Amino acid sequence: MSQGPSQTLTNVSSAVDPLRACVHCGLCLEACPTYRLTGDENNSPRGRLLLWRAIDEGRLQADTYTDFYTDECVGCLACESVCPADVPYGHNLEIQRQRQVEAERAHLDWRVRAAGVAVKSPAIFNLALAPARLLRSLSLLPHPMVFKGRPALLKSTAEYAADLVAKFNPTGPKVAFLTGCLMEALFREINFATVRVLVENGVRVVVPRGQGCCGAFHEHTGMSGAAELSVTNQQVFRAADVERVVTNSAGCGFALQKALAGDPPVQDVLGFLGTLDVKRQQEREGLYKVYVDLPCHLVHGQKVDGIPDSVLDATGYRWELAPYARDCCGSGGVYNLQKPKNARHILKSKAAFLEKVPKDIVPIVATSNHVCMMQWNTAKTFIRRRFEVRHIVQLLDPASSFDST
Amino acid sequence: MILRRSAENLPRSVKVIRRTAPSCKVLHHPSQLAAYDCDALSFKHFTPEAVVIPENVDQLVAVVKGLAGAGIPFQPRGAGTSLSGGPVAAQGGVILHLSRFRTIEQIDKENRLAVVQPGVVLSDLEKAVKPLGLYYPPDPSTGPVCTLGGNVASNSGGVHCFRYGVTGNYVLGVETLLLDGSLVRFGGPAGGRGDWRDDWKRLFIGSEGTLGIFTRFWLRLIPRPEKVWTLRATYRDLRSASLAIQKLATHPSFPAAIEFMDPRCVELVENSSMRVGLPKGSFMILTEIDGPAVLVDRRLKSIADLLQQCGSEDVAFADVESERLALWKARKALGGLLGKITPNFLVQDAVIPKAVLGEMLEFLYQEADAAGVGVATIMHAGDGNLHPNFLFDARRPGELEKVEKIGSKIMLKVSELGGTLSGEHGIGNDKSPYIEDHFGPLASAMQMAIPNVFNPQHQLNPLKVFPQRKFVA
Ligand SMILES: Cc1cc2nc3c(=O)[nH]c(=O)nc-3n(C[C@H](O)[C@H](O)[C@H](O)COP(=O)(O)OP(=O)(O)OC[C@H]3O[C@@H](n4cnc5c(N)ncnc54)[C@H](O)[C@@H]3O)c2cc1C
Ligand code: SF4
Ligand code: SF4
Repeated sequence: MSQGPSQTLTNVSSAVDPLRACVHCGLCLEACPTYRLTGDENNSPRGRLLLWRAIDEGRLQADTYTDFYTDECVGCLACESVCPADVPYGHNLEIQRQRQVEAERAHLDWRVRAAGVAVKSPAIFNLALAPARLLRSLSLLPHPMVFKGRPALLKSTAEYAADLVAKFNPTGPKVAFLTGCLMEALFREINFATVRVLVENGVRVVVPRGQGCCGAFHEHTGMSGAAELSVTNQQVFRAADVERVVTNSAGCGFALQKALAGDPPVQDVLGFLGTLDVKRQQEREGLYKVYVDLPCHLVHGQKVDGIPDSVLDATGYRWELAPYARDCCGSGGVYNLQKPKNARHILKSKAAFLEKVPKDIVPIVATSNHVCMMQWNTAKTFIRRRFEVRHIVQLLDPASSFDST
Repeated sequence: MILRRSAENLPRSVKVIRRTAPSCKVLHHPSQLAAYDCDALSFKHFTPEAVVIPENVDQLVAVVKGLAGAGIPFQPRGAGTSLSGGPVAAQGGVILHLSRFRTIEQIDKENRLAVVQPGVVLSDLEKAVKPLGLYYPPDPSTGPVCTLGGNVASNSGGVHCFRYGVTGNYVLGVETLLLDGSLVRFGGPAGGRGDWRDDWKRLFIGSEGTLGIFTRFWLRLIPRPEKVWTLRATYRDLRSASLAIQKLATHPSFPAAIEFMDPRCVELVENSSMRVGLPKGSFMILTEIDGPAVLVDRRLKSIADLLQQCGSEDVAFADVESERLALWKARKALGGLLGKITPNFLVQDAVIPKAVLGEMLEFLYQEADAAGVGVATIMHAGDGNLHPNFLFDARRPGELEKVEKIGSKIMLKVSELGGTLSGEHGIGNDKSPYIEDHFGPLASAMQMAIPNVFNPQHQLNPLKVFPQRKFVA
């Protein structure tokens, strides 16, 4: 009896190229928020890949329609997580977006274009946003995406970290911290909380000078500049002599992971805290309950399972995963600026559970990405009850308690 | 939105739809049609003239009436995971994409039935019935995405069919839209007793969208088994694995599933993130027993012993859901996993008597080797339902022809051995060329009598199942 197939494959290439690794099985369809939203095959991962392949093979001309479907993609990468063939969808998407920009066919909102240029110079970006920081700390920045918080106006996270380390002299592992662009410029209190939590857990945290934007913004939009930013960050973080780089924004972390390619390794701060015997906060009874939402770029991008239970338990809050925690909230980097209607629809179905939480509980939607927090904050325009939006690291930080904001 | 074409250039079908169903979403630009030019048989392309995505039955009825009256062919589509060229526009015309019909209308726990729209995704039904202790057994490997409309139209099977049977065993009734725009019901919540012409529904199950367009189903649910054990065993040679299949199939515990994977598939699984620790180069048998805990716990040992006695030195079993599901996930992801080694594959799902399984496998390995074509085989072995996947690159000249030639040799052999052309994927337009030879002229003519009643001009899903089903306006 024959012993099965001959062991060599002669007629097919073993290294299938990224655009052609898709066998069109369709197993990604329901993972995709835009397919679920529209029911249009073109608006699915399988459909987009087919369009791009058809363009690549000259069977189709790139036009407003193909651009439209490329633009519709949130970039959540949920399709990568379910694809058995490991089709590098995100890589394909980045290439397509770059091509759109190169061919001047990209439909980028002016705010997005401006931000893409601004974030390349962190110092100017931080200075330019100082008034916004001030207004925000006074609760005078009434934008639906801007969640509550009191960022420091002048002191940078780098200075703050240096002070804390000098004061408490932690002796644990040495890590570098990526402060991010918008996080540092507008939501700096989250960076401060991150530093406090790290130092409290004995981590020697440094904020290397000269670090640049992670490049996520440019990857999302196809704008040029990601490669140069990668080089800067490689130089800065490799010179820092640290065990790893920690990040507190899943999207930035994912981009930096790609940029540094393991040298040194990049890890989300919550995952990193999970490797330590993290200090437990006081049990908090009663009023609040935490609903953990998992950022796409953490679970589908960085491909980690989730946020360690030990870290969530250490917050002292009652917690559970939010329903559909692994599905996209519609934020998608700048997607909520580019496609506000879609983003809102996607969020609406995710946020619906908040209405059903018993009235005597205040739900806290907690996640680990500031852009997801911004998106969740917009749910306050249609969810008719009180709920809070928080970064999980803030729940580990007594100084970020609700009374202090 | 800027996505509009000037009215003069619009295809006729679009003008008809805009007139009869003005609010219905229509796609018609070439770039919007590309993604609809195939199903999961991705190397055969048939571009439709337009695609409609109706939001509700009223829109669907209006579209169908309009197209039927205007002499334009059309075909329903669910998730487009068919592997037989079922939901494609083989003769042009319009695709009716039923992706918006995703409401589970009712789950009646007392009467153990579900009422669903045709675009409901199979796994959404599973998620809805599971907490109620209910079970809907048919489980094609595309469960997370395929629709019940596609399942019923293809009479889909799955890994648990060996004991539980195929989709048709769970359809109590169908509501279907006929070409004249009328909605008719066959069977229903009572399982069709009475005046709802229950047995007519049998004609519609597996009709591959050639008789009517389903708009609603009444589905039978059963109590969820209390306990499940999933076992897997690996074998060094095909003969031992075949022996295990034979023994399992006649074992008094009546396993729910008996699945087979050849070494190439095992290797694919082990090289992926779904690895479950199978020795490379081995054949795997995956089986499952379920029922009352006291019963299946007792039976576990006899099945494990059986697997061992057939020559396996590596038998493992699990009753923990996460471990069991990891095994099934690895098995069910195989179709997609093939993308790691090939840009295209052609799968045949013929069914053959179990006694000749070994002979058949040997035949197809030899044919593939002789033609220099890679093959990876999985099987719903309990049912004798083969799934050899022939691997090729459609862009290389001559490859597809080579693979199709093997396909047709296999079909001949299947007929010779007393098998059937398709166990679950349907005939579509991929296997239609074999129908006439397989059934002979008389049986073919009798089968054609059915579309002749409901869809006499073959306006609905033309050129499917029977090659002579061509629409003449
Ligand atoms: C990786 C992979 C694994 C698979 N595994 C299995 C398996 O284990 N078992 C199995 O049986 N199949 C399997 N299939 C085949 C396929 O998934 C099934 O046939 C499934 O039922 C198709 O459902 P769909 O929603 O994708 O239907 P589609 O592919 O869209 O359509 C299938 C057929 O149904 C018709 N149809 C769809 N909706 C309607 C409606 N509302 N009214 C009338 N006709 C309609 C279409 O016209 C077409 O003829 C597999 C496919 C792939 C790609
Ligand atoms: S991207 Fe992956 S899951 Fe989606 S159709 Fe292609 S191979 Fe299948
Ligand atoms: S990245 Fe998200 S939105 Fe884009 S195709 Fe994949 S699943 Fe859909």
